Formats: sequence, structure tokens, C-alpha cells
Amino acid sequence: MASESIVVFAQFQSAVDEGFWHRFSSLKLNKLGIDDSPIPITGFYAPCSHPQVSNHLTLLAESLPSESNEQSSTAATSGGNRNRCPVPGILYNTNTIESFHALDKKSLLKAEAKKIWDDIHTGKAVEDSAVLSRFLLISFADLKKWTFHYWFAFPALVLDPPATLVDLRRASQYFSLEEAKSVSAACNEWRNSSLTADVPFFLVCVDPNSLATVKHIKDWETCQSDGNKLLFGFYDPCHLPNNPGWPLRNFLALISVRWNLKSVRFLCYRENRGFADLGLSLVGEALITVPQGWRDHQCLPNAVGWEQNKGRQVSRCISLAKSMDPTRLAISAADLNLKLMRWRALPSLNLNALSSMKCLLLGAGTLGCQVARMLMAWGVRKITLVDNGRVAMSNPLRQSLYTLDDCLNGGEYKATAAVKSLGRIFPAVDAEGVVMAIPMPGHPVPSQEEDNVLEDCRRLHDLVDSHDAVFLLTDTRESRWLPTLLCANTNKITITAALGFDSFLVMRHGAGPFSSNDERQRLGCYFCSDVVAPIDSTANRTLDQQCTVTRPGLAPIASALAVELLVGILHHPQGIFADGELANSSNSGSCEQPLGVLPHQIRGSLSQFSQMTLVGQSSNSCTACSSTVVSEYQERGMEFIIQAINHPTYLEDLTGLTELMKSASSFQLDWDNDDDDDDCIEI
Amino acid sequence: MGTKEEAQGTLSSTDFGVAASAFILNWNTVCSSFPPWTWVLSHHQVEGYLSLENVLLSSTQEEHSELSFPEAGKHSHQEDPIDVDDATLVHTNPCKVHYYDLHIIYCNSYRVPVLYFRAYDSDGEPLEFDEIEKDLPAYSKKALSDSKWTFITQEEHPYLNRPWYKLHPCGTSEWMKLLFHADDALAKTGVAIELYLVAWLSVVGHVVGLRIPFEMMKQL
Repeated sequence: MASESIVVFAQFQSAVDEGFWHRFSSLKLNKLGIDDSPIPITGFYAPCSHPQVSNHLTLLAESLPSESNEQSSTAATSGGNRNRCPVPGILYNTNTIESFHALDKKSLLKAEAKKIWDDIHTGKAVEDSAVLSRFLLISFADLKKWTFHYWFAFPALVLDPPATLVDLRRASQYFSLEEAKSVSAACNEWRNSSLTADVPFFLVCVDPNSLATVKHIKDWETCQSDGNKLLFGFYDPCHLPNNPGWPLRNFLALISVRWNLKSVRFLCYRENRGFADLGLSLVGEALITVPQGWRDHQCLPNAVGWEQNKGRQVSRCISLAKSMDPTRLAISAADLNLKLMRWRALPSLNLNALSSMKCLLLGAGTLGCQVARMLMAWGVRKITLVDNGRVAMSNPLRQSLYTLDDCLNGGEYKATAAVKSLGRIFPAVDAEGVVMAIPMPGHPVPSQEEDNVLEDCRRLHDLVDSHDAVFLLTDTRESRWLPTLLCANTNKITITAALGFDSFLVMRHGAGPFSSNDERQRLGCYFCSDVVAPIDSTANRTLDQQCTVTRPGLAPIASALAVELLVGILHHPQGIFADGELANSSNSGSCEQPLGVLPHQIRGSLSQFSQMTLVGQSSNSCTACSSTVVSEYQERGMEFIIQAINHPTYLEDLTGLTELMKSASSFQLDWDNDDDDDDCIEI
Repeated sequence: MGTKEEAQGTLSSTDFGVAASAFILNWNTVCSSFPPWTWVLSHHQVEGYLSLENVLLSSTQEEHSELSFPEAGKHSHQEDPIDVDDATLVHTNPCKVHYYDLHIIYCNSYRVPVLYFRAYDSDGEPLEFDEIEKDLPAYSKKALSDSKWTFITQEEHPYLNRPWYKLHPCGTSEWMKLLFHADDALAKTGVAIELYLVAWLSVVGHVVGLRIPFEMMKQL
């Protein structure tokens, strides 16, 4: 048993820059497709430059052939420099994880080892020594999850018996002071010349006068003179004091095959801050027993070299979803925008409240589409749209979520098309579409339909219940009744937007009648200012004319204001209970809110390009939100709703409006009776 | 540098190029012990930016051997036994090593330089911002949270099309203005373009924990 130890080489370490995977993904998607033929790539390494950290064999974006390069079959040899010695390699990328694991690693390694063996025997390795460090990479790029499984191999021809280590010490301890100076200078020259900076294997000749020269290994013959010290130098990525780096393995193989040397003195060249560091560099002597078959080119030695992963024999995996997945990128960009707004302009902006708010949009038309977009812009992610209509040919012009495609073949359901469109704008939106009609009073229901209508009512009740804010964006007055009632019942934030030909109304409903214990006046709802119960109203109304006859500019303006109003409510300490404020008022309270005043109603006119704010209190006779109506609903539920739907005057009777009108008209009759004999002209 | 620009704390794109060349020369001479900054041309070879890459930071954080390989445990796949011989030493770095890449890129809309940076570990896996924060010295963390002019965001790198962290430029001209006017001497003679980047980096570097050597600062 030899008393000396064997040379133990420190394994090469791999490092893959993110840019490599980005470029590879692009190549795979745009050019390669399912083609899994091996791809020539280039790795880069440099001598160790840090006393505690080894250098790696690195892959960068430049390691791959460019997409436009037609000669992808030739090895991509990117230009090297002193910090990037190019090394040829090959990539086998599989199309499934199963085939990745099923790759025959033994034979792949053998194939690459054979290339090195061939290069040694043909002499190519002497001309272009970087081929001694040829490497292999297997991978599986999962382009749906943006994760990359990979495994490197650095093929090394195994000496059998292994080389023994006679001596290994710091280069500064091996050379004399004069020699050290000269060696350093010669190495620095080699490293600084663009012709040799990226040549990782070289010879160091030191003559008896301590003068050192660095030469190409092909000039080996010229170094043969007595008295000269000859060292085989190589860029050593390893930093360890007791182990030479991996490239020495194949270097020794080359030396023993081509020059049949039994004793090899080598220099593990390492640097510090760009200059040769002979304290970090090592000089050693190895004894080689040339194996029997090695003179024979045909006899391929064994090879080792699969990279261990923290001591385990498994592949590595890296996830780049955060920087590659477009959905994630869209999300972080959107978040960034809002954060910037908060940082630069509005520190009290409550982004969490916005992103967690669930909004219900009743109507997916001109108002619904715009409101949905504005909500997304504010960071609202959960949006439900309710609409029973289909996209008509005229819709895409005014309804900003639809395109011509949605109109074809009879037209998609608006609720469905809107959800799809929102997803195309912002993939992380949580949008839901409900195709459903809203039951309306004054539109009596035939008895066979009653069950369906009841079902719709219940569904609407549940929808209101499960959301935080409700937008009433339909195009008829009576379709707003039931939602208003349901919201008043559950005290939900409710925003109404209604359009006339050239005017609009945007308002927030007050709190429900049973929402608080104190008797303070609530703000009114859409119906509070109306003394007539909602009836079938497709004529004679200034607002809520069915979609086609409004000036196009109104819907975007009203929608935008509706959403801004919601944001205002969210940021107001009293929320739904906040008093109605007027614009331009000297009300000191309003100046302190960072978002400005919080109005109750905004009425705008395009003919005047004007806008005004109003405040209206709730009415005790309101057919939608008064305590009479809401308690009737709470007691009798759907039975009450059906009654209201089928009997147009029922609500008026209930709230006393009928009485009110009767007394008003009876007052008139009394007058007539009194002045029976006079000739009165009826006014 | 036109006095108008100077008064606003901004500089033109040509001046940025001039300032960058001067900066590289200056830095590489004065701070030879630091890795050098290089000038990188973009694809179109028209615009360029300053680059300092692979800056090694030995982190004080411990190696988390299991965290880096989320997939490894998922596969009960038996790997083929891989030949390893006695002559192989498998070693890993004892402490977690982080690498930083820094780019200084001119921003046309704000007319100031912007610092872009990213960090990754030895496997190439990018680091999240909270991990980067752990690497920052205490004074940087303080500067980041206190100052109303410093805001780190993650945006797409203008040339590399991948998300990089950057120090948002909207406050830059304001504090550059202050920097120039604070010194009476500078205010009188005007500041040479050449010193713009040193001045800029003295503030920006403070925020991201990159110390400017004193020799460079002396010139200001």
C-alpha cells in the first residue's frame, strides 16, 4: 500500500444565471418546439478569485445559440475574455419530467467522455485545450410552471490506479521569491493578453535564472531543456488549500497519453482582485501509472462526473415563476402602480381594503363594463356581473368589454363575455358572471313562471349577501327596486348610476332602516325622492331610458364617478353612515379627508358640462328602503316580493302613498263640493 | 452641464455618457481593490449603461439545505446510482453566498440615472427582496424606511426584459438639487458633469449598502 495519498480533486460547481433559462424558454417556445435533439452550448468559468469561495462553471444567456442563428448545429463559441473562459458543452432537454428521469445518464456521460478521449488522441485538445473541460447538461424545462429541472455532468477520465499525490503546497512556498515574482508577472501577462486570457491550460517554464515564461501547451517540446522547471498550469476554479480543481483530471489524462509522463508537476492557478495570487495558488506533484489500455485510442476509460447536489445524487430544480410567469408579472406591476400612488400622493390609501372588497355589478352594459374596468384599476379583484342579455352588434362601441367576436352567432351572454374580457385584461381578476334577469315590480309574472322568479329572487338575495358593495347599473327604474330593498335589508354599500339623454345621476344609498340604534336621519336611496312607486316605465322618464339614446360620453363619466364614490366611502371613517357632503362647502370635515368630499348624490349635465352635488334624506314612505317595506320583507320574504311584482299599487298602499294621494285628491273634491254653484274654471 | 439642468438636479443623456466614462476611470483607478465597473452597450449599440456584476457577498445567513430544492422531495423516483470515485471531493461553501448585479441606467423620462439591482444565490436562483434586505447593513435599512425619497420597486429592466429591483427615480432630481446647492463652493463654480455620478452614487449607494470609497468622495 502506497504511503502517499491519492489526488482528490474538488468537483466542479455549476451556476446557471436566470438569463440562461429565459433565453432557453424563448428558444423552446419560438424555435425548437418539441424537438429534443441535443443543443451545443457554451459554459464559462474563470480561475478562483476569492479565498473562501470557489468559482463556478456558469451558464448565461449567451451560452445558447441565438435564435436567429441558422447554424445551430455548430457549437456556439461565444467570445471569451479573462473572466469568461468558454468551454464547450451539450444540452439534452426533454419534454416531460418522466423522460428527464429516464435519460440514460451512464451512456450520456460515456458519450461526452469519448469526445474528450478522442480530442486527446487526435491532438485537438492540445490545440484548443478548453475541450478538456467539456460538460454535459440534462434538463426538463416546465414552461407551464416556469420551473427548470437540471443536472450537470463534468466528465473526467478515471485513472486506474488513481494518481498519487507526492506533494501539494502553496505556490508561494514552492517558488523562491525571485521565481515567484517572475511567475506572477508572466501569468498576469498571459491573463491580460486578449489572445491568451481565455486559454485555460498552459505551461510554465522557469529557467535557472528564475525567469519564468508562460506558453501554450502545444509548445511543450520547446520547454524541454535541463535546468528548467516545467509546470503544467491550469485555471483552477477551486479555492481549497488541499485539493486541486476538477480540470486537472483530464489535463493529467492528456499529459499521460500524449507525453507519457509519470511524474507531473502542476500549478493550480488562482487569482485575487485580478492578479495572480501565489498564496492561494497551489503547486503539486502527482505520480501517474499509465493504465494499460490508454495508448489505445479505441479503449475508452471509465468516466465519472455527475454533479452531486449537496451530497445527494439528485437533480436540481429552480423556479423562476416570479420573473417569468406573465400573470405574476402583471400582478406585481398592478400592485406597484397602486403602491406608488400611495407612496407619492396618498399615504392613507387602504390598498388592502380595495383588494379584498367583493363587488356585485347588476348590469353588464355601458355602465357595467366601465365600472368593472375602473374597479380593476383601483385594485379590486373580486367582481361579479349580473346580466341576462346577449351582446348585440351595436354594443361593442359603447360597452367597453366587448368586441365583434362576442356578437357573432346570436351573441354571447354579456355576463360570460364580460368575465372573459376582464380575464384578458388582468389574469388575476376573480370575476364571475351570472346570467339572470332581475325581477321587477309592475311586470306581472304568469303562474307557471312564478317558481323561476322566486328562484331568481333568492339568488339575488344570496348574491347581495355575499358581496360587500353593490352597483345598480341597469337601464330601467323598476329593475333597481328589488336590489335596493335587499341592500337596505342587509345594510350593504349601494351605488346607483342612472343615465338620461344628456344627464346622469350617481348616488350612494344611505344605510338601511334597521342598521343602527340611533334615530338619526339616513340618507335616501334612489326611490326616496320619488313619491310614486315604480311601475312599468318604458316611456316618459328622463332617466333610465333604455340604453340606446344617451350621449356616449355619459356612461364613462358616470361609471368613473360611481367607482370613485365607492373608494371615498371605503376611506371614510363612517363608511356607509357618512353624512352627505357638498362640493365647495365650507364644511371643515370634508377638508380633512385625503380623498376630498364624500357627496350623497352627483347630478351632471353634458349640455352644460356641469355637475352638482346634492343631499337627500330618506323618506318614510319610500317604496324600497323605508322601515315599513323592509320589515314586511323580513316578515314575509318571497311572498311579499311576488305580491309587489304582481300588483303595481301594492307598494303604494303599503307605504301609505296611496293614502297620501287619496287625501291630496279628496282635498280637491272637497273644494268642488263647496263651490258647487260657482263657475270655477278647472285648473 | 447646462445650468438649467443642474438647477433641476437632472442631466441629459449625452452628459450621462460623459459622466459614466469619467466615473469608470475614476473608480477603477481609485478603487482598484474593488471589482471594476464596465460600460455595456445595449442591443442597438446606441445606448449604454454601467454594469458591476457578480459582486460576492458572504451572507451571514445559514445554508438552508432543504429549501432550495422544492421538487427534490416530490419525486419518489429512484435515481440511478451514479458512479463517484474516491478521487472526487464534493464540497459546498460553508456560508450562504449571495451574488449581486448592479446596473446604472439612464432614465429618459426623469432625466436622471437609476440604480437597478438583482441578487441571486450560487444556484442562480433569484433572491426575494426580503432576503436582500437581510443582507443590507443597518444604516441602509434605516435610510430606506425613513427617507421619503427612497422607494425600491421591482420593474422590468429596460434592456434585459426581466424584473430587476430599482430605486425609483422620482425623488432623485430633488435630492441631487439639494446636494449641489448645499455646498456653496459647488453652487458658485457649478458642478462638472464628471462628478455627477459620484455624487449620485454617494446617496444611492448609502441606501443599498454600497460604500463609496472615501478617495472618490474627496473630490466632491
